[in-house]
Amino acid sequence: MAPNDSMLVIAQDAIAFARKKGANEAAAGAYRVRNVEVQWRDGKIEKVSEATTRGLGLELYVEGRYSSVSTSDLRLEAVQRFVEDAVALTRKLAADPHRALPDPSLYEGQAKVDLDLEDPRYGEVDALRRRKIAEDMEAAARSVKGAQAILSVTTGFGDTMAESFRATSNGFVGARRVTDFGMSAQVSVKDPDGRRPEDWDAASARHFAALPSPEEVGRNAAARALSRIGSRKGESALFAMAVENRSAGRLLGFLMGPLAASALQQKRSFLDGKMGQQIASAKLDLADDPLVPRGLGSRLFDSEGIAARHFPVFEKGMLRSYYVDNYYGRKLGMRPTTRGMSNLAWKLGDRGPDALLADMKEGFLVTGFLGGNSNGTTGDFSLGAQGFRVRGGKVAEVIGEMNVSGNHLELWQRLAAVGNDPYPYSASKTPTLVFEGVQFAGV
Amino acid sequence: MSASTLIIQAGGAGASDPVVVGAGEEPQPGGATNGIGYFARFGVTEAMIGEALGAALSRGGDYADVFFQHRVSNDLALEDGAVNRAFASVELGVGVRVVKGDQTGYGYSEDLSLAALRTCALTAAAIADGPSRGAPQRFHVAGRLPQRYPLRVRWEDIRPEQKLPILDAVNARVFAADPRVKKVSVHFRDESGAVLLADSQGRIVEDLQPMTLLYVSCLAEQNGLREQGGYNVAGRAGFEFYAPDRVDRVVREAVARTTILFEAAPPPAGEMPVVLAAGSSGILLHEAIGHGMEADFNRKNVSIYADKIGKPIARPFVNIVDDATNENARGAINVDDEGNEAGRTQLVENGVLATYLHDSISARHYGVAPTGNGRRQGYQFAPMPRMRSTYMLPGPHKKDEIIASVKKGIYCQNFTNGQVNIGAGDFTFYVKNGYLIEDGKLTRPIKDVNIIGNGPKALEMVDMVSDDLQIDEGGWTCGKDGQSVPVSQGLPTVRVSSMTVGGRGKG
Repeated sequence: MAPNDSMLVIAQDAIAFARKKGANEAAAGAYRVRNVEVQWRDGKIEKVSEATTRGLGLELYVEGRYSSVSTSDLRLEAVQRFVEDAVALTRKLAADPHRALPDPSLYEGQAKVDLDLEDPRYGEVDALRRRKIAEDMEAAARSVKGAQAILSVTTGFGDTMAESFRATSNGFVGARRVTDFGMSAQVSVKDPDGRRPEDWDAASARHFAALPSPEEVGRNAAARALSRIGSRKGESALFAMAVENRSAGRLLGFLMGPLAASALQQKRSFLDGKMGQQIASAKLDLADDPLVPRGLGSRLFDSEGIAARHFPVFEKGMLRSYYVDNYYGRKLGMRPTTRGMSNLAWKLGDRGPDALLADMKEGFLVTGFLGGNSNGTTGDFSLGAQGFRVRGGKVAEVIGEMNVSGNHLELWQRLAAVGNDPYPYSASKTPTLVFEGVQFAGV
Repeated sequence: MSASTLIIQAGGAGASDPVVVGAGEEPQPGGATNGIGYFARFGVTEAMIGEALGAALSRGGDYADVFFQHRVSNDLALEDGAVNRAFASVELGVGVRVVKGDQTGYGYSEDLSLAALRTCALTAAAIADGPSRGAPQRFHVAGRLPQRYPLRVRWEDIRPEQKLPILDAVNARVFAADPRVKKVSVHFRDESGAVLLADSQGRIVEDLQPMTLLYVSCLAEQNGLREQGGYNVAGRAGFEFYAPDRVDRVVREAVARTTILFEAAPPPAGEMPVVLAAGSSGILLHEAIGHGMEADFNRKNVSIYADKIGKPIARPFVNIVDDATNENARGAINVDDEGNEAGRTQLVENGVLATYLHDSISARHYGVAPTGNGRRQGYQFAPMPRMRSTYMLPGPHKKDEIIASVKKGIYCQNFTNGQVNIGAGDFTFYVKNGYLIEDGKLTRPIKDVNIIGNGPKALEMVDMVSDDLQIDEGGWTCGKDGQSVPVSQGLPTVRVSSMTVGGRGKG
């Protein structure tokens, strides 16, 4: 990327100005994002939106004090006044001995690989193409068996080109340019009892060519929505639970969040003090994997400039690593790993969802969570759920308006199987997960 | 994907949070003004707006508007005993919208120059495909605007040294209140926002919109166990918001809501009567009916409430409103983000479904007047129907009578978040604190339980409503279609005869 890009220059100038005004150290990030979206509904365009936006963020270290500021007002005099005010504010705060830029040694060792995060054909997707994809998704949705029950189809296509730059006063300079393409279809159908159940399908990718066909997404969304007709509550009891790959990310997020050093340092993590312990059954085996070509979470360096590396998080159910950022790492006396998850790489099972259900025999297949929450301090969780009853190893009646509850320290010990089907359109790449003995609440 | 969410705004002090600093050009909070006042400092003129609207209608759109926004927010955060971080952000930008029938074209920019405005306008104009229409060159105002967030003390007149003692005092008092407290974090936010809306009908309006929030999180330990809880207050107000009694309440509630968790356990699983305490239980209305009554979902025929206007859906003593007028409420607005008058809208009147929540597009679609619910997160977004402050009016019962009526059920007091599927009607809310009700009495504390119901069914099952309405003072934020807006909610004590409680084991 051009070393003289105007946004990088803005970032570097802001650092220089901050230092002139009294900052001892500073880091700046600047971005330029072009975003285009079309939304299509029931035979015509519902909304188109298009813009190129810019912004600047600055972290200031002034006499042992810290603040972080951002602005979208990039007029030179406005930026200068903003930085000057920010430095003055920072002086009013309490000193914090743990605040400093990352040690420059952490910037070193960036992988020499091309992550291929920018689609060279980005500019070829034009307004007509976006519209055609959105239109084709609707047509496909309306072509499935039972489509006469469809009330409305909303589809969308969007693409983004995001350029970001980071510079620090202790020598880091980084640039990154990525493309994103996303498509979605949402279908509402008429239930004879008056309800209008909905479901969706979606996909996103760094490269346009990696998207599925509009027909596949449209048909899936319609079939899923139609399958929701007639849903009822199931019984309140302990059951085996299979979680569909695309929904498993929500459940996994509640396990990953408490791995953050900020949660550990603030004693708000049920995984505090559990390093090296068996947190889950041996089936849970995953690593943070930042260097996957075209990965949705791929990066050569994290948001603090720390060089990205592959590291194990859970090995055979044992906790192997926390997510340690620079600041909380200093507070805890731990070496930083990275700030925030990149991609996950799973040790996958050898069977797909159908075979997993056949093994499970009795229980529930969860195809969506609705609301609910998890207490990161204790691990207690309670989540709304919908999906299907599984009987005799096969998908049976459709269920809704149910809850699942438990504690993560028990739930993951009962992880009985991991599918071979990582969900491709997310950075966490979750496969189907099967748990035994989960509390369901319904009737 | 269709689900809409509501969360309590937690003052996370992560470095990714935008933070605050005085930016020299802070809005002067204090309500609505006519014509270009505030935005003149950015070089915005009526001639420029006229030219942008001309470009916006150059391809035959029915309607166009221009929305300017400047928002300066400042956050101070205390962790481990010291206010050792600050965050500040400045958002400045403009969005141009063109409407053709139900269709919308939208463009936006951080650059407020005429050239940038024209580019946005031409982008938005492409939604239509016909002969150009004329745009107004002169703008008028729609009469006197209300002043629902008058400020006695403006944020720009407050120095950091005046705010810091509040955070320090809250920290010290929370620690002093209970020896089990081991960690406290305090987050203080003030926001000075200004918006300007001008449209192809020649209307122009500015509004200055302050906001503030104080969030306290508390971690306690007892016998090797840990629990985390907290409390927060928010409003469209200035520094005077932090009166001693409010700060006292923040301290008291943060400690009480955390330490009681050591005595609490999840309730049993299954269907049972649910009593909702007065106040933040308004989350029931937000999820069970509020979103479903937003007219865009009905216009699109995807809401479970489509075709139900004029029909009885609840007992005659159930009255539900969505109200922009509550002074200093987080969900209050003087005018909506389309320039429409914002008042009080009756969703349910004596048990009958009365009115949807409209923006201009849906109002035109239904041939009714807009209800002032057209809101947007910011200049990057086209408006859509959103709630403001949603609550149920007082009913004929008494709180004690309601609790005494339940043989076995739960009493829900505090909530963290909720969500709804608009069409199927299933909705949830997560209960952080509450009690079991056994033989008409509150007995064991409960915690961390999600409750799920179906909107119309749950409203039908609201069979007792008390006279003790409270509007919650918490910092609620509603998410829909990728846009977050501040809202309020309230409820009197209410009994729902049966909902599914996501507890554990059999009762």
